[in-house]
Amino acid sequence: MNRAIQLGMIIAVILAVLTIVEYIYAVNVDDVQVRFFGLTAAALAKAALIVWYFMHFRRVFHLEEAH
Amino acid sequence: MAVAAQAMHHKALDRTAINRLGLWLFFFSESVIFALLLSARFFLQKLNIPEEENGGGQVVDQILGLGITSILLLSSATAFTAETAIEHGKKSLGHWMILATIVLGLIFAGGVAYEWKTAQFQRGEVFGTVFFTMTGVHAAHVMSGVAMLGLVWFRAVRGKYDANNHWPVSGVVMYWHFVDVVWVFFYPALYLV
Repeated sequence: MNRAIQLGMIIAVILAVLTIVEYIYAVNVDDVQVRFFGLTAAALAKAALIVWYFMHFRRVFHLEEAH
Repeated sequence: MAVAAQAMHHKALDRTAINRLGLWLFFFSESVIFALLLSARFFLQKLNIPEEENGGGQVVDQILGLGITSILLLSSATAFTAETAIEHGKKSLGHWMILATIVLGLIFAGGVAYEWKTAQFQRGEVFGTVFFTMTGVHAAHVMSGVAMLGLVWFRAVRGKYDANNHWPVSGVVMYWHFVDVVWVFFYPALYLV
């Protein structure tokens, strides 16, 4: 269990860092299109992490319950 | 006897797999609604966020937006911990983490309510309509998530879930993460672009 929770904490820290980077990036990049594509990439990366690690997307194709 | 027990175990796993697939289909249909809201935002407002009429800055509060986003991400971590703990039989930790997720969800909803009260929108402003619609639909999902977490917590403290029977906890926690994923896209679209 500890390993699973540890992994969850690592993912949470990565998400927090990405959110702060996203904010700093948005505040400092003036080009509207560059800002849009950068923010889209960050949002996709964050969503992928949540869907894969927190929502256990891979379990849709398996019957196993355990982490 | 052993064969019968094994058959029952497989049946339960099959049911969980079907439940999980059904939940993902629900997420897919919900995603369409949220994607349409997102496309409406970019169609109506393009790649910008309007500024206040007196030139005092953006109509939305950047620090508040960052704060509530961080709180929602933190709530995903507590929800994940709750699910993992109950899956592994650590009921007490699971109960506390569900409660923490509820509190963080309520703080997020309070932050959205405060933003609604203080945002500097002009009547008839397109971005105001988009902002209230997107945050309103999302906040309704947050509140329904809080209600379901409350129900799951109520049943969990009465010992209804354990390592072998925890699908309701997993389902609600997955729904909570889905609400978080939606905000991952809404936050930059409403505050940062």
